[in-house]
Amino acid sequence: MTDTEIMVGSGMKVSVSRDELVQKLSIVSRAVSTRTTVLVLGGILLRAENGELSLAATDMELSLRTTLDAQVDGEGAVVVPGKMLVELARLLPDEDVVIEHRAEEGVVRVDSGAYSSRLHTYNVEDFPRLPEIGAVGTFSVDKDALLDTVSRVSRSASRDESRPVLTGILARFEAGKLVMAATDSYRLSVKETPMEGEAPELEAIIPARALTEVTRIASAADTLELGVQENQVVFVAGGVTLTTRRIEGQFPNYRQLIPESYEQVVTLPRNDVLEVVRRVGVMAQRNSPIRLRFTEGELTVSAQTQDVGESHESLPVGYVGEPMEIGFNADYLRDGFESVTGDDAEFKLISPLRPAVIQGESDDFTYLVMPIRLPST
Amino acid sequence: MPGAGHVRKGRYGAGVRLIVARCEVSYSGRLSAYLPESTRLLMLKDDGSVLVHADAGGYKPLNWMTPPTVVAEEGGTLVVRKRQGRTEDRLEIRLAEVYSDVRHDMGEAASLEKDGVERDLQLELAAQPHALGEDLRLVRREWPTDIGPVDLMCRDFDDQWVAVEIKRIATMDAVEQLTRYLERIRLDPAMAGCRGILAAQKVRPQAATLADARGILTVEVDLETLRGRREPDLTLFG
Repeated sequence: MTDTEIMVGSGMKVSVSRDELVQKLSIVSRAVSTRTTVLVLGGILLRAENGELSLAATDMELSLRTTLDAQVDGEGAVVVPGKMLVELARLLPDEDVVIEHRAEEGVVRVDSGAYSSRLHTYNVEDFPRLPEIGAVGTFSVDKDALLDTVSRVSRSASRDESRPVLTGILARFEAGKLVMAATDSYRLSVKETPMEGEAPELEAIIPARALTEVTRIASAADTLELGVQENQVVFVAGGVTLTTRRIEGQFPNYRQLIPESYEQVVTLPRNDVLEVVRRVGVMAQRNSPIRLRFTEGELTVSAQTQDVGESHESLPVGYVGEPMEIGFNADYLRDGFESVTGDDAEFKLISPLRPAVIQGESDDFTYLVMPIRLPST
Repeated sequence: MPGAGHVRKGRYGAGVRLIVARCEVSYSGRLSAYLPESTRLLMLKDDGSVLVHADAGGYKPLNWMTPPTVVAEEGGTLVVRKRQGRTEDRLEIRLAEVYSDVRHDMGEAASLEKDGVERDLQLELAAQPHALGEDLRLVRREWPTDIGPVDLMCRDFDDQWVAVEIKRIATMDAVEQLTRYLERIRLDPAMAGCRGILAAQKVRPQAATLADARGILTVEVDLETLRGRREPDLTLFG
C-alpha cells in the first residue's frame, strides 16, 4: 500500500458552492468515526489543490473520499471536526462559501454571506494515511448486479463484532457471475448473479457495512470500479472512492449448510405470506417465536408473548401430509420472504429442528433459516 | 457485648456481626479522618472486612477497611488494624451507646454466592467441558501455577493440554491473565504445547481480537444453558 502525501502547515483558502459542499460532505461524513477515543477520526480532511477541494474521512475500517470544484486561492490541507462542519454547512445562508485555514491560529474560518465562523482544527499529521488509489488496479463491475446482490444478502450478516468474519459478506467473482454469501449463524443468504464484463477471479470477505455504503454511493452512479489489495478493497463510483479493510479469517463453508433434500416443499403466495408474517409477528416480542402450523391445505401463523398478547391468521396453501409445526424468529422469517422475488416462494422443510429454505421463482437466491425450538418439539 | 476479638487467617469469627451504635470513628493511615459521634451501622464481615455505614449516602460506607485486618475490642472501643508496608492503617471506633449487636452465620452457601457467576460457570464447565466446543476431559480444577491457579486444566482429543480461564465477561485483561498463565505452564517441557481457551458469558470484541492474535480460543457459554434450564439456540453452525 502506498501512502498519500498530505501537505502540512498550509494557508489553504478555497471558494466553493454551498450546495455541492453539503452534498459531498454528507457522503464522506458517513465514514466519520463516532468514537471519541481518537479525536482526529471525528474529523474530515480538506485538501485544496489543482482547482479542487477533496474531502476524506475514515473510522479506520472504512474511508470515503470525494472532490468538488473549487476556486483555490491557497493550497493546503486541514482536518476539521466532521459532524460540526456538516451541520454548519447545511445552514449557511449564501450559495458561496469561503473556507480559509489560518494555521497560525489553529482555526478554519468559514464565511458565507454575512455569516462567519472559526472552527478549531485537528492536527493534519494525525490523520491516517489512506491507501493510494492509483496503486490499486481497479476493474469495472456490473453495478446493477453487484448492488442487487448486496441488497439481497446483506441482512443476513451478523452485527456481533465478537465474530468478525460473520460481520462480512463473502464476495466471489467468477467467470460471468458474482456469488455473495452472508450468515450470522442463524440464517444464511446466498446469491449467484450473472455478471457482464470481464472481472478477474477473486474472493474476499468485505464488511457488510462497507457494501451497504457502496450501494448508497453507487446507486446514482453510471459505473462502479472495484479493486482488491492484500488487505484493502476499493470501490470507485460517481466520483466517490470507498476503501475498506478485508476481513481476515475463514468464512463458513456455506455449501455444506444447505440441505440436499427436504421432506416438504410448499409453494406459498409470497406477498400474502409476507403480510401475514408482518401482522402476526407484531405479537412475537421478547424473542418469542412466530409459529407456522401446516395442516392439509392450510397454514396457520401465530405468535404469543406473555403479558403482551397473541395473534393468529390462516391462509390456504398447497400443503399435503402430516401436520407440522415449526417456530422461527419473526424478523428472520420476514427478512427471508422480503429477500426473495416473484409472486410465489418455495418454503422447503425437513423437520421442526432442521433448517428451512426460502427460495423465489429463480433458484439463484437461497435463504436458509434455523427454526426456534418450540416447547412441544 | 462480645469480648476482645481474636483473628484467624481468612476467618474472623462466626459469621457477620452487625452493630448499630452511637459512635465516633477516627481513621489514621495514608490520611487522617474523623467522624463525630452519631448513630451508625458497623458491619464486621467474616472475611475481615469492616464497614462503617450511615443511614444516608447510598451504598458506600463512610469508612471501610479491606482484609486482612486485625480486629480488637477493649473497653467499648473497636480497633481495626491493617499493615500497609511499613505503616499501619488504623480504624478506631469508640462505642458510646450500642442499640443492637447481632451475629449471623451466613453458612457455606454464602461463600459460593459471593463468587457468583464465575464460580458457577467453573463448576458447570468442570462437569461438562465438552460445552467448550471440543472433546475435552477435565484433569483438575484450579490448576496451580506459580502466579495463581488457572480455572480448569483439561486434555483434548489428542491428549494435548488445554488451560481454560473462565470469566463472566472476557476482556483484554482476561486475555492477558490467561497469556501469563500459559507462559508459566509452558515452562514445563511436558506442557510446552498447552493451548488456552477463554470462556465467558460475553466476550468483548477487543478481547476476541487479542485472543485470536495470541492463538487463544474464545468461547461464549451460557450459564442457564449449562444448567439445563434453557435449550441452546439452534444454529446453522457452531
